[in-house]
Amino acid sequence: MTKKGVYIHIPFCKSICSYCDFCKVLYNEHWVYDYLRVLKDEIEDIYMGEEIDSIYIGGGTPSSLSVKALNYLLNLIKKFNIKDLKEFTFECNLNDLNEELLLQLKEAKVNRLSIGIESFNQEKLKYMGRNHNFKDAVAKINLCRTLGFNNINIDFIYGFSFEDVKSVKKDLLTLLKLNPEHISTYSLMIEDNTLLKIRNIPRIDDDTDALMYEEIKKILKKYHYQHYEVSNFCKEGYESYHNLKYWHNLEYYGFGLSASGYIDKIRYTNTYSLTKYIKGNFEKEKIILTKKDIMDNHLMLGFRLMEGINVLEFEQTYHERIDKCYPINPLLKNGDLILKKGNIFINPDKIYIMNEILLKMI
Amino acid sequence: MRQEKIRNFSIIAHIDHGKSTLADRMLEITGAVEKREMKEQLLDSMDLERERGITIKLNAVHLNYTYNNEDYILNLIDTPGHVDFSYEVSRSLAACEGAILVVDATQGIEAQTLANLYLAIEMDLKIIPVINKIDLPNANISKVKEELKNVLGFKEEEILLCSGKTGEGVKELLDEVIKRINPPKDNTSKQTRALIFDSAFDSYKGVVALVKVIDGEIKLNSEIKMMANGSTFQVTELGVKTPKEKKMAKLVSGEVGYIAASIKDITKVEVGDTITTTDNPATSPLEGYKKMKPMVYSGIFPVEQNKFENLKEAIEKLKLNDAALTFEPETSDALGFGFRMGFLGLLHMDVIIERIEREFNIEIIATSPSVIYKIIKTNGQIEMADSPKKFPSSTFISTIEEPYIYTNIIVPATYIGPIMELCQNKRGIYKSLDYIDEARVNMHYEIPLAEIVYDFFDKLKSTTKGYASFDYEICGYKQSNLVKMDILLNGEIVDALSIIVHKDFAYQRGKTIVEKLKEIIPRQMFQVPIQASIGAKVIARENISAMKKNVLAKCYGGDVTRKRKLLEKQKEGKKKMKMLGSVEVPKEAFLNILKDGD
Repeated sequence: MTKKGVYIHIPFCKSICSYCDFCKVLYNEHWVYDYLRVLKDEIEDIYMGEEIDSIYIGGGTPSSLSVKALNYLLNLIKKFNIKDLKEFTFECNLNDLNEELLLQLKEAKVNRLSIGIESFNQEKLKYMGRNHNFKDAVAKINLCRTLGFNNINIDFIYGFSFEDVKSVKKDLLTLLKLNPEHISTYSLMIEDNTLLKIRNIPRIDDDTDALMYEEIKKILKKYHYQHYEVSNFCKEGYESYHNLKYWHNLEYYGFGLSASGYIDKIRYTNTYSLTKYIKGNFEKEKIILTKKDIMDNHLMLGFRLMEGINVLEFEQTYHERIDKCYPINPLLKNGDLILKKGNIFINPDKIYIMNEILLKMI
Repeated sequence: MRQEKIRNFSIIAHIDHGKSTLADRMLEITGAVEKREMKEQLLDSMDLERERGITIKLNAVHLNYTYNNEDYILNLIDTPGHVDFSYEVSRSLAACEGAILVVDATQGIEAQTLANLYLAIEMDLKIIPVINKIDLPNANISKVKEELKNVLGFKEEEILLCSGKTGEGVKELLDEVIKRINPPKDNTSKQTRALIFDSAFDSYKGVVALVKVIDGEIKLNSEIKMMANGSTFQVTELGVKTPKEKKMAKLVSGEVGYIAASIKDITKVEVGDTITTTDNPATSPLEGYKKMKPMVYSGIFPVEQNKFENLKEAIEKLKLNDAALTFEPETSDALGFGFRMGFLGLLHMDVIIERIEREFNIEIIATSPSVIYKIIKTNGQIEMADSPKKFPSSTFISTIEEPYIYTNIIVPATYIGPIMELCQNKRGIYKSLDYIDEARVNMHYEIPLAEIVYDFFDKLKSTTKGYASFDYEICGYKQSNLVKMDILLNGEIVDALSIIVHKDFAYQRGKTIVEKLKEIIPRQMFQVPIQASIGAKVIARENISAMKKNVLAKCYGGDVTRKRKLLEKQKEGKKKMKMLGSVEVPKEAFLNILKDGD
């Protein structure tokens, strides 16, 4: 996995979800074209021509684009040097899915859809500022399958104050009827500058949160999903190839408003201001990483994976032994970490408090 | 005769009676400070003083004033109002011939009005009583006048009226200072003796001493000698504060000013010492001040152990103009190397801790304050212990005595009942009750100092809705049934958390402390039991349940930098914690356990 990935951010949404703190604005046709033109400039400016084998178009809501705008966006992909495209993910809003869009995506070689369903609990949907129902979802997912999309991720959110373990279980079981290949599940965070924060909506206490997480893990295990990252589950062989690049601390480009990339030991993040971006001022905030930073990141990211970090790979990459650079051994001894078949990973019982363990190391 | 045109005086008052504002007006009227340079409470030079609205350090200022077409020099020496700093008050009063006693027209006489007045009377100073804040709509001048006459014995015609805020009556007050307060004696011909009443360190000038020349004179370039340690220096600069420093050629008998002599070693200048000159040496020093003994002790430890030397240096610098401060090295299993420091009271302690943190940028942990206990051992030996650590094993203890204070609690009479209940709960012994007038009383109790250190101030304030004023003096030791209570975290005694407590109160206190610690100590990766024990007997227990969640949420979009920042922030938070065994404890835990939950 030495080839680079590409992330492209589409910051437009038809409506704004109350919990979302990603960078987004309400859809505006006029801005969309300005935006896409600058996006083209940015790619031409920054991209060095290396071989690319994964693409992730996220947002925002990429599926909110009109046919014409989407066509423009998908044409930009042709600028990349692609020989063997392993994964091409496109984020969709359930309501945007239709035959025309899906065929357009198929044509452009999109092979993975990520659909932000989040829940079927009507109260939750109301709080989130979303609306869809199970019946529609079944129809739309069936349409995707019919048109040949057989790698579908669905996001699932939990942890509203009015939820309990039982209602989370019920919600998840409904979602599982859609039989997605991949599930990303997150406990609700009340982030700054979100409607939930402004409305002062409380989140659930950590103890209940942890119980919900345990329940989710239990159910997904029963349904033969593999727990491969803190928040990510999949059927065998359906790990997200692109997202694994993040967790393996590998390099990727980030294009578009607020996008982050990691190229040549530099981690950069683009401006969050749409007006600046449209003026061609990407205002990249760049951090040149030291070897120590890179190794620290490797731990922070790698330990999110249930399989953890491969000791030999670490040594080959950095020419240092992981247990010489970090206090691994005492943590193996006290059961925070486990060493098995050449991999070191966080004790699965402690994965939900993994920051505590990270903080003992970096 | 220079002396006849000099007046040295202080302003004394209860806290918040408007002393600093009155001083501001005097500075303005005498032209010492132009109006445009005026900022409130000019003499309170520390940020901490202005923020808290209190005066901590004294400050001397030289004012020029014309009365009956003659030019006078007024040396105004500002004083702190709080009980903890009465030492500073007595230092400044020693440099004066008179004092203005300020009483708030809306409040009347308060506890520290009395305390400071008694100090001034002890020093044989001329007192000018003045009722301040007469501009306020709720001023009750006639009532306060009655109090001054009946309680303090002033005569009607002695009492002046003024408003520091509007300036009304301030000029008349200055005139009375000249008329009523005696000029200093002219002892210029005598052998030189100057009293050091304060000092400060200046990076360029070295130690700067504030002095009052009692006898003889000191000139620029003369060689001076510190009578306590015999060291000699050449005067490089001297002068007066106006309040800016104004250089002069000499200071003569009766004058108040500053002296710098390139003194690098701060220990050579002791407040209360006498300076003489080698060409006109005195044979005996002036009578200094009675040394103030610290009453409250606390262990002060740097959060980061490599800051120990910096802490030492900071304490030495603070000690320079705070003679009451004491310190000796202390070692704690839990907190490492630090100092056992002695303070005059809780406010003094608070102020010093804050100054170390702010002025020297050293984060510190302060352990629960302790008083000095007198331990009579079974073999008849007596030991003084200023820390629970210094307590011998209970089998060697025959009896324990603790210091008691005698209170002046001035309150509206309607609060007599609640105060009596409060004092009883604090193991107080009722002594007497004086009526100031029909509506206000002064209540006298003897209460263990340890109870005052615990939460008496807060309780008094809440019981009386802030209407009580409080002052105390130490009145000796009494035997008490005291025990040492240990606190165990995760089964291990934390030496820095041990306290001495009265046996009858031990269960309640133990319960409060473990509950408080449960609140303060964040959840850890494992369950942490907190216990309070006396000897081997556990008297209270709480559990901090294990942490259930601490994980970074979604990592999509690849914004690793932001996640990293969140982690770094958590790391910074951890740095502020102290590892006790395997438990992370925030530094507040060491002090806050003393404060009651309610």
